[in-house]
Amino acid sequence: MSNRVKVIPCSGMGKVYGLVARESALRVVKELCPGEADTVCLAYIVTGDSEAEKLVKGEKCITLDGCPAMCAAKNAEIAGGIVKEKIRVVDAFRRHKGAKPGNATALTDEGWQIVDEIAGEIAERVKELSREG
Amino acid sequence: MSENDVKIGVVSCSGEDCLGGTISRLATRKMLDEIRPDETVTICLPLYLAGGEEERGFAENYPTIAVDGCSKCCAKRATEKYSGSVGASIDLSDIIGKEIAEAGALSTRDLTDEHREMVKKVSKEVRIKFDEVLNDYLKNVVAKGLDKSGRKPAGGCGCGCG
Repeated sequence: MSNRVKVIPCSGMGKVYGLVARESALRVVKELCPGEADTVCLAYIVTGDSEAEKLVKGEKCITLDGCPAMCAAKNAEIAGGIVKEKIRVVDAFRRHKGAKPGNATALTDEGWQIVDEIAGEIAERVKELSREG
Repeated sequence: MSENDVKIGVVSCSGEDCLGGTISRLATRKMLDEIRPDETVTICLPLYLAGGEEERGFAENYPTIAVDGCSKCCAKRATEKYSGSVGASIDLSDIIGKEIAEAGALSTRDLTDEHREMVKKVSKEVRIKFDEVLNDYLKNVVAKGLDKSGRKPAGGCGCGCG
């Protein structure tokens, strides 16, 4: 078991929310909390490989989902992850009514602003979870 | 049935933990946005487990191409495990090299011209597979149609007039 929090986004293909989830997770693991968080390919978890399960089973996870299907949260739970926080990207958009964030391929400046906001909140939670040990 | 009635599924791994995942995602988006926008459909891979029957029926409903960012081939394996066999698959390791494909995760904020070239190269391969899969599918449909009518293919135009 690693002591790094797993930050797992859905990376949904069809809508901008999937890309926002993906980019928020990458910002956390690459820039804001590189020593305290990492990620796992969700597609690898979906395969059900025992090696993939080992990466998640019993680990503290924060999932980010772009739609109500909650794919990241469900798949992390199926693999035995301890999902401490289920972030719904649409909740952040409620604070940005009328925002034009871009699309599933590329984000606008406004989209990146929302990414940074979500990533900042997740980073705080990662630090809390890391302190809990 | 015309070419325009057929949709081909392109499913990318979108892997978050390696560069190949970002390139596979962008190449798939390029098919949807620019190259074959009216004929390409996709699905979020994790929906095979988190979704319902409709999602699991994806590869049965559409001839499907898996686009994988690394040699783990998660998109291909997950599609075949939960949904159905794929018509073709692409492993980015074969196109951009294993070491590059498995390099660290890449944010689209950090895309360089070199990465954009990789996307172009991969989407070109996807387009080639796309046309092969589409042609095979249409040939199959014609063959089945002829079987039903009891007529034998007469060569030439394939409409059975001969």
